[in-house]
Amino acid sequence: MKKFYFFLSTIQYCLPIKCKIIFSFFLLLTINGLVAQNYYLYVASESDDTVSLLKFDGNKINEEKRIDVGFYPTEIEGPHGITVGPNGKFWYLTLAHGNPYGKIIKYSTKDNTAIDQTTLGLFPASMQISKITGFIYCVNFNLHGDMKPSSVSVIDTETMTEITKIKTGSMPHGSRISKDGLKQYSVAMMSGELFEIDALSLNVSRKLDLENHSLMDHSKMDMSNNKMKHSSVKPTWVIPHPNKPLAYVAGNGSNEIIEINLNKWEITKRIKIEKNPYNVEISPNGNFMVATLKGNGKTAIWDLSTGNLIKLIKNSTSVPHGVAISSDSKYAFVSVEGKGGEPGIVDVIDLNKLLLIDKVEVGKQAGGIAFWKKEI
Amino acid sequence: MKKTLLTTFIFFFFGIALSQDKTIISDLENLTLDVGEVFMPTSKVVNSDGSNVDCLRIIYYNKKGVFSSAKSITFDRTNGTLKANDPGNHDVVAVCIDSNGKRLTRTFNISVNYPKIKEVKLSVAQNELYVGNYVPLVYEITDELNKKRTIDYWNYDKAYKYFSKVDVSIRSNNEKVRIDSSNNILAIQEGNSTITATFDGVSDKIELKIKKNPVNRLDLISNISNVKTGDVIQFKTNAFDKKGSTLKGIPIEYSFTGKSFDKSNSASGLILEDGRFVGDVPGKYIVSASIGNITSSKIINVFPRNVEREVNNVGKGIVNDKHTSDFWVFEGTDGGDYAVTGTWGADGTAYFWDVSNPSNLRKIDSVQVDARTVNDVKVSKDGKICVISREGASNRKNGMIIIDVSNPRNVKIIAEYTKNLTGGVHNVFIDNNHVYALSNGEKYYIINIEDPANPKQVGMFEVGKEGQSIHDVWIEDGIAYSSNWRDGVYLVDVGNGIAGGSPSNPVSFGNYSYDSGAHHATFPYKSKSTGKFYTVLGDEIFPKGVNPNGTNETAGFLHFVDFTDLKNPVEVAKYELPTHGSHNYWIEDDILYVAMYTGGLRIVDLSGDLLGDLYKQGREIGYLLTGNPNGYIPNDTMVWGAQLYKGHVFYSDFNSGLGAAKVSSNKPDNSKANTYIE
Repeated sequence: MKKFYFFLSTIQYCLPIKCKIIFSFFLLLTINGLVAQNYYLYVASESDDTVSLLKFDGNKINEEKRIDVGFYPTEIEGPHGITVGPNGKFWYLTLAHGNPYGKIIKYSTKDNTAIDQTTLGLFPASMQISKITGFIYCVNFNLHGDMKPSSVSVIDTETMTEITKIKTGSMPHGSRISKDGLKQYSVAMMSGELFEIDALSLNVSRKLDLENHSLMDHSKMDMSNNKMKHSSVKPTWVIPHPNKPLAYVAGNGSNEIIEINLNKWEITKRIKIEKNPYNVEISPNGNFMVATLKGNGKTAIWDLSTGNLIKLIKNSTSVPHGVAISSDSKYAFVSVEGKGGEPGIVDVIDLNKLLLIDKVEVGKQAGGIAFWKKEI
Repeated sequence: MKKTLLTTFIFFFFGIALSQDKTIISDLENLTLDVGEVFMPTSKVVNSDGSNVDCLRIIYYNKKGVFSSAKSITFDRTNGTLKANDPGNHDVVAVCIDSNGKRLTRTFNISVNYPKIKEVKLSVAQNELYVGNYVPLVYEITDELNKKRTIDYWNYDKAYKYFSKVDVSIRSNNEKVRIDSSNNILAIQEGNSTITATFDGVSDKIELKIKKNPVNRLDLISNISNVKTGDVIQFKTNAFDKKGSTLKGIPIEYSFTGKSFDKSNSASGLILEDGRFVGDVPGKYIVSASIGNITSSKIINVFPRNVEREVNNVGKGIVNDKHTSDFWVFEGTDGGDYAVTGTWGADGTAYFWDVSNPSNLRKIDSVQVDARTVNDVKVSKDGKICVISREGASNRKNGMIIIDVSNPRNVKIIAEYTKNLTGGVHNVFIDNNHVYALSNGEKYYIINIEDPANPKQVGMFEVGKEGQSIHDVWIEDGIAYSSNWRDGVYLVDVGNGIAGGSPSNPVSFGNYSYDSGAHHATFPYKSKSTGKFYTVLGDEIFPKGVNPNGTNETAGFLHFVDFTDLKNPVEVAKYELPTHGSHNYWIEDDILYVAMYTGGLRIVDLSGDLLGDLYKQGREIGYLLTGNPNGYIPNDTMVWGAQLYKGHVFYSDFNSGLGAAKVSSNKPDNSKANTYIE
């Protein structure tokens, strides 16, 4: 390979400038076509206290490394949420169970060693980093006991300090940041609400009721004693569109994807889908929306230019969980939990061919999944 | 080429010229606040030429640190103010996000004044002061926020920390006392002396009446001269004046010196202010009682405890395809002996065993539930109902499973119960038709299983503190002993009647916590030999977290807390195995059977009064390393728990499954030991 690059640089040196530019352009195209691209991602296995580093070469996906995480070898601490920082140098992991609060751990992508940590709330789960503030916004899922409002923790990744907890709804989940890094969105599964947090002021800026009131018989509801309502929508995820003022919410209880116009802050569409949509992601080019259907072990793919559901793909095992899409919008990586002693699995879906092209076994209850990088 | 170099140079030059160093300047710099003070910071970003740089917003937060809880400074983000909560030095980070999305940060160190001392009160923790004695002065310091700090003679670590923060001077008005550099006061002459202690300008005085030592003779009394290591001797001292009359209320100081019989060892022991002495190491000890320059001594020979016995592995029920968790041995309804074991990080299986013949442990049935870990298993006293806990259920509802084990060869799941237990059930206990189930490591729920097919929640207990956490609960005689990590053990009446509690109305009536905060399990224990009541509190510590490449390091020990006086529990002894940490344990007939994780199964003599370091005292009867060549991880001892049952010590090992051991009446066979014989 070194000799090949020496050959290319020699040609470059000998050519006039205009030719160099044209040559370089075609050279890049050629390299792109000829040289295999490798994709790297991390997936957390909640019931094995492990994180797997995966490598996909366009055809085969392999587990490069399995990293033990946690502090108590004889207790399950439940790695759940995982994300990679914008510069790709660090990955971050939430541990759901602690004494009693969970933790967020910062790891180096260089050698996958833990660098720093801090304690968050009850069952810290999904999270993402704002490219503008550098802060992580992480939901404290708290699925335990009586329903009560929980929070979004804001953590400065430089010092790994929890700056504040912002109160939101009951069982918040699906923390995702707008492309400009200025807004964070999450849904409250039990109170059926969408929350928008201003990433700079660190306050809830807007809240939207996601219930379909046209289908509800309010006369039968017991709202006495300020009881917290139990949502029929049970939203579990929200993803803002990368290019349009839209967001999509997974209605896990109502079997629908809910489209929200972020400018008008209103529901514009309810898209019916098979059982229990759970996580939703949109490809970086905005063309595809991919959702896991937890209830029937499938992954759904929409063409967002038409809004049509274009494919339902049966996953390799039961309980599909998270989705990570490659930076070039070519592949979706779907974590699938499995049940009991089954290993977790990561399915690779070719978004152009709409085919499940490979899979790899990881630790039990594969959940949080994050795309790291593409490299030649 | 020259063009390229020139272009590079120009870009480099202008690059330097255009990019300026930016910094945040703020009135947070060198800021000093008082506790409770609210401050509105003003900050801006400037270029090195002094021109302003726009910030979309400046966000402040209190950086965590070794001495900061990160809540020492709190922020009102609506009003843009901060509030000083704790004294000391705290870092406040200012983060500027500019209009291009660039981030600039700077840390400011803010000093928060310790509240000024409002009042100092001196007292002496002793009725009479005599020439030749040190004065046990007690300082009670109250600050402007009415926080009281008490520093006494024996807690010099606290005194040292505090004295380093404030300007302290302690003086006397005459030469009747001598004050050393550590502020210890020695009474040297009869008469009155006024001590003045000044803390940051606030003073208090105390008048000391130093009496001539009335003691002419001390008699240190004990009818015991020869004991074994670990035996506690209660010394008494009688004081007499010149006329031979007995003196009352004389403050005696006890001490000891000694030499080990083994020249390579050093004498070691413990003596308390009330005259209790224990020798750890065989040797000759001189125990002394003194008042001023009057001393009385007694020589004690401490011989080896000599309790070692052979511990033999009798049977093994290997589980070699997954980790094993907790276990329970029980008598079945047919009179046979059975056990149930859980599994960890696997497929939600619990195994049932026939252990009637401990040398032939036979797997006879199993259940598989939707879980990855069945951490705990318990069986009702009548041998009919088993409860297993679930963690890692695919629907994340976890909870517990109730199983009919009337026929252990054909167990049947009766019910799944998940209400309020979604966060995972780590431990359970069955008592009197109720299950006590931990919920998310925060609290425990009490569930009536009189109708096991329809369990009903009847009660709940939680400590009720912010960040409350719990690891285990154990019930005996209607008292629930919960192990609450940093909050220690809570004694809760759930039917005993001592505090009017019941399963539906659990009432807490006792608590003890200790500094490490690692309290993980409790075993209530009434000593057969002394009648004293202890709670034995176990730590669980993995000092280096998970070791993915080999044997895990474990730490922590058992704390013996004398709870005979429920309102004044006193920690009196510990069992600590160097370099190995404690897990679950069982006590019966004054013998401790403890799973010391990597240190194996340990059997310890608890007879007699308990004081000091039980391991050093040679109380260990024997041990068994439970690793097995056919284990899930071969030959890697990681013993989880122990239970004495009908004369055998059953244990579960994380890496090898179930086992049964027997403590022999024989001394260990030393024929293969490499020892020097005279």
